[in-house]
Amino acid sequence: MATRPTDISLSPARAVPTSRWFVLQYKMAPYLFVSPFLILFAIFGAYPIVKSLILAFYVTNGPKSAVFVGLQNFIFLLSDDDFHKAVWNTAVFAFWSVFLQLPLSLGLALLLNSRWVRGRELLRLAFFSPNLLGQVFVGVLFSVLFIPQYGLVNRFLHFIAGVPLDTKWLANPNLVMPALVLTSLWMYVGFNMIYFLAALQAVDKDLYEAATVDGANAWHQFWAVTLPGIKPVAVFVLVMSTIGSFQLFELPWIMLNNSAGPDQAGLTIVMYLYQTGFVTGDLGYASTVGWTLALGVLIISLFQMRVTGAWKGGD
Amino acid sequence: MRFPYGPAALSMLILSILSGAWLALNPIPPKKATLVMWTFAKTHYDAYKQAIPSFEAKHPGVKVDLQLVSWQAVTSRLQAAFLSDLDVPDLVEVEISAAGSFFRGPLKDVGFRDLTDRIKQSGLYDRMVQARFAPYTSRGRIFGLPHDVHPVMIAYRRDIFDQLGIDVNKIQTWDDFIAVGRKVTIPGKRYMLELPDSESSRFEPLLYQRGGGLFDPQGNCTMDNEIAVQTMLFYVPLVAGPNRIASDLGGGQIFTRAVEDGYFLCMIAPDWRSKTIEVDVPKMRGKMALMPLPAVYPGGRRTSTWGGTMIGITKHCKYPDLAWELALHLYLNKDDLAQRFRDTNILPALKEAWDHPAYDEPRPYWSNQPIGRLYAKLAPDVPFQYTSPFVATAKGKLSEALVACVQYYKQNGDKGFEEFVRKRLKQSADEVRRLMRRNPY
Repeated sequence: MATRPTDISLSPARAVPTSRWFVLQYKMAPYLFVSPFLILFAIFGAYPIVKSLILAFYVTNGPKSAVFVGLQNFIFLLSDDDFHKAVWNTAVFAFWSVFLQLPLSLGLALLLNSRWVRGRELLRLAFFSPNLLGQVFVGVLFSVLFIPQYGLVNRFLHFIAGVPLDTKWLANPNLVMPALVLTSLWMYVGFNMIYFLAALQAVDKDLYEAATVDGANAWHQFWAVTLPGIKPVAVFVLVMSTIGSFQLFELPWIMLNNSAGPDQAGLTIVMYLYQTGFVTGDLGYASTVGWTLALGVLIISLFQMRVTGAWKGGD
Repeated sequence: MRFPYGPAALSMLILSILSGAWLALNPIPPKKATLVMWTFAKTHYDAYKQAIPSFEAKHPGVKVDLQLVSWQAVTSRLQAAFLSDLDVPDLVEVEISAAGSFFRGPLKDVGFRDLTDRIKQSGLYDRMVQARFAPYTSRGRIFGLPHDVHPVMIAYRRDIFDQLGIDVNKIQTWDDFIAVGRKVTIPGKRYMLELPDSESSRFEPLLYQRGGGLFDPQGNCTMDNEIAVQTMLFYVPLVAGPNRIASDLGGGQIFTRAVEDGYFLCMIAPDWRSKTIEVDVPKMRGKMALMPLPAVYPGGRRTSTWGGTMIGITKHCKYPDLAWELALHLYLNKDDLAQRFRDTNILPALKEAWDHPAYDEPRPYWSNQPIGRLYAKLAPDVPFQYTSPFVATAKGKLSEALVACVQYYKQNGDKGFEEFVRKRLKQSADEVRRLMRRNPY
């Protein structure tokens, strides 16, 4: 069999391989290497995504029965009080988590980036360490801390402010959300602090020297040098925290004893999706909820990026 | 010879070959079990582990693989298994509040086998407490065999009752109970009864006691009928307002502490919970006792029901006759049931099993009361509890209504309360009905 010369050369010092087999495998090798990912993604990523999109137009009743209902699931969603409650709860959680978390994380990062603080490494580890635990563990821990009559939180608040010992953080609809936000702050402030610390350490020190020479005080330096310097990271943290907040599930599920809590005060969108799909058994409507959540998060993230100037619509 | 794509690709290739070879040489052993069974309760698991060898001895060559699956996971795992037709067990024990969700859709598509004919032809329908088939029945077809009856009594701190001079024999009705409760309750320090104001788990037994329920036998939502309204009007002033006699702190360690401290004097206690109390509050040995639930009116029903478990055979099962025999072996063997009662305090649904001496044994924890006999006496009067695929939603909506009624009562007291209760229960029931209407079957 004749062979065709090629212009492939691996290195000047080596002979040019010319066999057809070599040319074929040289061309196919990249595809071969990426194929494990592509195959797994197709099975466990792409197929479920497409399948859930199709299911969103069906009412399913148990494992084997599905009836095409067109846009009825989406129309029902618009008037579904439980979904509205889940959206409201999730939005409130996201708002308070993000707007308390980010300033606290940045404040801690500034503090622990300062030369004047002793034991910074230890403190960084201490503040980051809650994130080493899973949400389930933290949920169990805080559900014990928040128990009425004997819980540490109530004991402390009773001692300093006379709050009644039998205050029911996780059984009072008005206190469930504050309890969830406090827990998430404990867990994630230290985590986001690490991003801000890394960003602060990457800001060019020459800029601070130049600002000092120009007579800028610490406050001016923060506004004119530090904030612009860490802006990309701040936007990243903002977007990721928002997305994370909208995916909230394990923390309230564990803290509220596998339920949405009193008066559904801890019902989140993902929890509603889970309940609809795996408790009530309507995977079609659960898919509708899932796709609505995905679209909502996409819109909010794009809005955040547009407002913060991180995304300029294709520029 | 050098690998042309660099050391990283070479290491990936070597790792792939090694791991692939290891997997090829160590294949997952094929399942040898004839029947796979899931249970969610550790106490059931331990008991069945002891009972299964005798079943296997009776059926040479048959192997039963008993698996303990978390109570929280069993529903979603079973739903997923039915959906994918993968790893579906042959027999499953399902908790009562989750059972209804498996009966969605056309009867032919329910993942469990219809056991109605087997149950009726074998006479089991008459030999077991009939009320206990109701939660596992859909459109007239029975999909599960009941494991238990779960009659409800009141567990109380006998030592404190004695100190306070309370005669439990004089407590016949809820009015009697409330009158005593008003005398002994000290707000913030001691309450007559443990009842939550934020979820409906203890409201439901009181609803059943009055003959009410979330659904009727046809599966219609009834949580806003007159019985439900009257139950709510009765319940809320127990847990809210100036004359409350009940409170709730939660489960686990806090419950232990609260019982030990005498924070609660009484607790609603179905048979299974009497064991939970024994285990969680061991220091109260000899200081606790049980009394029947107070009646709604003189001579009325002195019990209710809370909780339950069924065993079902899936359509995936290749040996349904064998699976049925296993279910009977686990649920009908009198000696095994007696031992299980000693271990768990759970009264079996099989009525003839209650003749066993185990049910007359005095229990030192319960001030030497023969608690088996006490529960058995009440068991025939346990109310029916009908189900629906929408039972989980209904329970959630009932809890929402309860919270709203409690909040209203705290702010406004009796003024306009009845009207509010009617309106709020109707709202919750209408939400359930609206969801049910989406069901095309």
